[in-house]
Amino acid sequence: MAKKQAVSFKLNGKDVDVVVEPRELLIHTLREKLQHTGPHIGCETSHCGACTVDLNAMSVKSCTVLTVQCEGACVLTIEGFAQSGELHALQESFHLDHALQCGYCTPGMITRAYRLLKENPNPTEEEIRYWMAGNLCRCTGYQNIVKAVQSAARKLSSAAAA
Amino acid sequence: MPAGPAAAWEVLADVELVAACMPGAKITERIDERHYKGTVTVKLGPATLSFRGDVEVKQLDAANRLLSMAAKGTDGSGSSAASLELTAVVRATEDGSSALTGSCQASVSGRAATFGGRMIDTVADQILRQFAANFAARVQARQPPPPASGPQVPAAQSPPATSPASEAPPAAALNAVALLWVVAKQWFRGVFSRKTA
Amino acid sequence: MSEETLQRENKLEGVGASRKRKEDARFIRGQGSYVDDIKLPGMLFGAIVRSPYAHARIKSIDKSKALKVPGVVAVLTADDLKPVNLHWMPTLGSDVQAVLADKKVWFQLQEVAFVLATDRYTAADGAEAVEVDYEELPAVVDPRKALAADAPVIREDIADKDNVGHGPRTHPNHIFTWEAGDKAGTDAVFASAAVTVREEILNPRVHPCPLETCGCVASFDKVRGQLTVYMTSQAPHLVRTVVAMLSGIPESKIRIVGGDIGGGFGNKVPVYPGYVAAIVASIVTGVPVKWIESRIDNISTTGFARDYHGIGELAADSNGRIKALRFSALADHGAFNAHVSATKLPAGLFSICTGSYDIPKAYCRVDAVYTNKAPGGVAYRCSLRVTEAVYLIERMIDVLAQKVGVDKAEIRRRNFVKPEQFPYTTALGWTLDSGNYHVALDKVLKAVDYDGLRAEQAAKRASGQLMGIGISTFTEIVGAGPTKVCDILGIGLFDSCDIRVNPTGSAIARLGTMSQGQGHATTYAQIIATELGLPSEEIQIEEGDTDKAPYGAGTWGSRSTPVGGAAAARAARKIKDKAKKIAAHLLEVGERDLEWDVDRFRVKGNPAAAKTMKEIAMAAHTSNLPDGMEKGLDATEYYDPPNMTFPFGAYVCVVDIDKYTGETKVRRFYALDDCGTRINPMIIEGQIHGGLTEAFAVAMGQAVPFDDNGNHLGNSLMDYFLPTSVETPKWETDFTVTPSPHHPIGAKGVAESPHVGGIPCFTNAVVDAFAHLGVTHMDMPHTSFRVWQHCKSLGVNKR
Repeated sequence: MAKKQAVSFKLNGKDVDVVVEPRELLIHTLREKLQHTGPHIGCETSHCGACTVDLNAMSVKSCTVLTVQCEGACVLTIEGFAQSGELHALQESFHLDHALQCGYCTPGMITRAYRLLKENPNPTEEEIRYWMAGNLCRCTGYQNIVKAVQSAARKLSSAAAA
Repeated sequence: MPAGPAAAWEVLADVELVAACMPGAKITERIDERHYKGTVTVKLGPATLSFRGDVEVKQLDAANRLLSMAAKGTDGSGSSAASLELTAVVRATEDGSSALTGSCQASVSGRAATFGGRMIDTVADQILRQFAANFAARVQARQPPPPASGPQVPAAQSPPATSPASEAPPAAALNAVALLWVVAKQWFRGVFSRKTA
Repeated sequence: MSEETLQRENKLEGVGASRKRKEDARFIRGQGSYVDDIKLPGMLFGAIVRSPYAHARIKSIDKSKALKVPGVVAVLTADDLKPVNLHWMPTLGSDVQAVLADKKVWFQLQEVAFVLATDRYTAADGAEAVEVDYEELPAVVDPRKALAADAPVIREDIADKDNVGHGPRTHPNHIFTWEAGDKAGTDAVFASAAVTVREEILNPRVHPCPLETCGCVASFDKVRGQLTVYMTSQAPHLVRTVVAMLSGIPESKIRIVGGDIGGGFGNKVPVYPGYVAAIVASIVTGVPVKWIESRIDNISTTGFARDYHGIGELAADSNGRIKALRFSALADHGAFNAHVSATKLPAGLFSICTGSYDIPKAYCRVDAVYTNKAPGGVAYRCSLRVTEAVYLIERMIDVLAQKVGVDKAEIRRRNFVKPEQFPYTTALGWTLDSGNYHVALDKVLKAVDYDGLRAEQAAKRASGQLMGIGISTFTEIVGAGPTKVCDILGIGLFDSCDIRVNPTGSAIARLGTMSQGQGHATTYAQIIATELGLPSEEIQIEEGDTDKAPYGAGTWGSRSTPVGGAAAARAARKIKDKAKKIAAHLLEVGERDLEWDVDRFRVKGNPAAAKTMKEIAMAAHTSNLPDGMEKGLDATEYYDPPNMTFPFGAYVCVVDIDKYTGETKVRRFYALDDCGTRINPMIIEGQIHGGLTEAFAVAMGQAVPFDDNGNHLGNSLMDYFLPTSVETPKWETDFTVTPSPHHPIGAKGVAESPHVGGIPCFTNAVVDAFAHLGVTHMDMPHTSFRVWQHCKSLGVNKR
């Protein structure tokens, strides 16, 4: 067995230290060592996006990132979205627009949409569909997800303007 | 490398020796001087990708210290495949030591490819470093160490304690397939650099 | 209704309200509790060693290297399970299935050994180190070759059995032959019909592929003799019964817990070898054992759907009025008959294949065979074999329309069962309880400007462009089901609801169904809210924990609303009956003097004299009750539906096909669904979006292909098509309301309609694009490559 390595990074704003085998994937570290079970495993091949987290201001699929690659990184997961009990605009709009059913893809979807809106605060429907194409949903048919991202975009930009 | 080109070529020309430098690689069968069968095992997460393949040495040109080979392999579960064509040359450097340069064309398909550039880059980096360290060590072992004032040894930086990609100790046999990861790295770099080119 | 009454009613958020979902709060925070989120102290992890071959004898299994991997605790094989008689298990299709391969493997990636280790990675390393020596055997992959005289025998274990639960077998690879209808009468009509059409119709092997794979955590408490299994199951109670039968543990000592489920779509109904292996492992080791499937394992080995190779025939008069239908199908069930169906219905509800049409004579026959492929035959977002049945009839009526030269909407109108014919008994014996097909179709045609579309299509054809208009006017059959026809392992497919009203007027209801995204916690509460006049917000719904919920057959085949929802309404009505007696007592009037008013009983003619349900709930827990009445306010209902329900719909799909690339663009998809009484329109619309998207996936891209040796040729998400937000069309939805006359609140179920009705609609649209060239046949999936090949063979894309 390969020697384990100590890795430190910021998870949802808090410093965390883990000791992992070099081959360990970030999704497993998050879920099994750090009790962050919001990101899910759906495909193990980078296709479904259920494991999406935000890594150094980039959406990444944590099933294909090694934990040792995260030394010193900033990681944001769904657990870091609600601030002092208050839901993020995306969480709220996913609920109000019925953008989830079984809920399995939801953490990854919201995390991906968060980065989308950071990079493109007023996306068109087509842009949302294109930018969210790395996240699969088997339940909703995406229509309400697109709607929810649009609602959140409006809410966030009017909040920013205020 | 902290050795003359002749010593380096001795290692490069010995397929078995090169294999020993590559973590996770194993020659399982020598068919003849030019044909081998081998495996490369890489562990990523809980998955073990075990490439089984054929290696063909196409050219072994002692005059120019050039090795050219092709390798093709598939993962045991049939979910991934990789192939590469590689040319490596030992060149003498001005200071009397040597350098290993080369070019290759490689492709990774199937499940292995889904790990994407982000991870493969890092993994390949680690393997390359380990390979370089092992290769240099072997070359060095073949001749007395250069004088202290000798050239800087690029591979002498301490090898990484672990390889993220492979748990197996460097296997005893060479395997050109083992170079896959080095190559994959270059290939992925190529893909990305094209964007900025 | 007065303003004040309306306000009170709105406050309840009962039936008809687009109430926001109760489930969302945890999911949007990442606080769902799916099976892989469960972590118990001392838990071991199980990994399965799988066969690389589709058909092979196992010569030996060498565990020694695996056992040397640090952290590996044990390696279980069939030989280890034999002493406890757990190496084989019963399937839901009256067959048996190997839990771990017993001397032989029957399909690729079959379970051969179960490696137990301290964590996921070590277990995988251990599985890698198990050495199995195989002797490869010839594989039967094509079901059409399974019954050949010289076909290799797949199931030597049952070679001497002339019956595996569903009638006589005629060949070692034959499972059953099932027939329905009047063969002689149907043949006679065909012999003398003015017009007949015949078409081969294929439903390829597909997989439901929920985003969460299957898995479980089994935890056996040796001291108490208690087994708890957290499991991704759509039918926890049935699983408990199977586990009890299998293990010999008293059913009362077995607890199955459903938890949150990341989608099911039929994949999570059966009992899989991984579950059993984990249970055995936990019993053996005395510590909890987790087993979680990988995506490749999921697509390769658990619960596939379809694989129906059919031939459809219609006989009609020259006006396209159908006189008879004859359907036959060859069903590939894989290596074990593990398909999920009621015992008496081995071909599921295939006999709904007369569809929405008044067809005097019909006959159908299904032959099921074994092949060296994964077992299953689950209903992928449908009731078993309903998609296949509806696909056949909706395709065939289009073929007939082209043959007789009648418009594809018009031919449907001519053949629809008319509103006055309901209840209508079909030639194959189902009694359609209600329907209003003409109205639905006309509404849709008007909405999409059908005549305009046909005119546009004619113009496009004239200029060499390919545009197709697909119609599907389907009738579904859901809500299994009446126990006189529907049972699994002898257990009737009733469902149940247990409601307890607390003194302060809040309530908890527990049901035998199991939500996987359908929003039961939201919608069941709405049903009970309307029945009892209590706010849905204060009604808690629990499902999936067999220690808490009453027995029920679970959630699949759109049975939750038709059966579970009915149980909820009827349990509430029992409570309401008691509440009325209490109200009469409190108001000192007779029961007959009372009338129900949203949330209270009031005295007729004196509305001020009233007792709200909340007041009654409190009274039920005091001494102030009628003489002899029991305390409390609760009720349990086990509901056995008198009939299935028959949701229907009318869909139109418009496609534009690029003849040079074969790319098919869905320009428009308009879906009208009639699911009877609408409980939560927001959730209904969401279900329809999802069902249509799955229909799109099946019609346009999904297939699980094999090579001639039975090797999978696409079993990860690299190859298996799950549409992304880019490919998925925009959906337009509409509805009519024709309540079910026999359901307590008139509801019918909706989740599968868009899948079942959508698939033929896409195919009909694609074929329609080529109809002017005489094309009647194109097999799913309509990938760009295949459509392009088709264009090429027709010569329509020559530059």
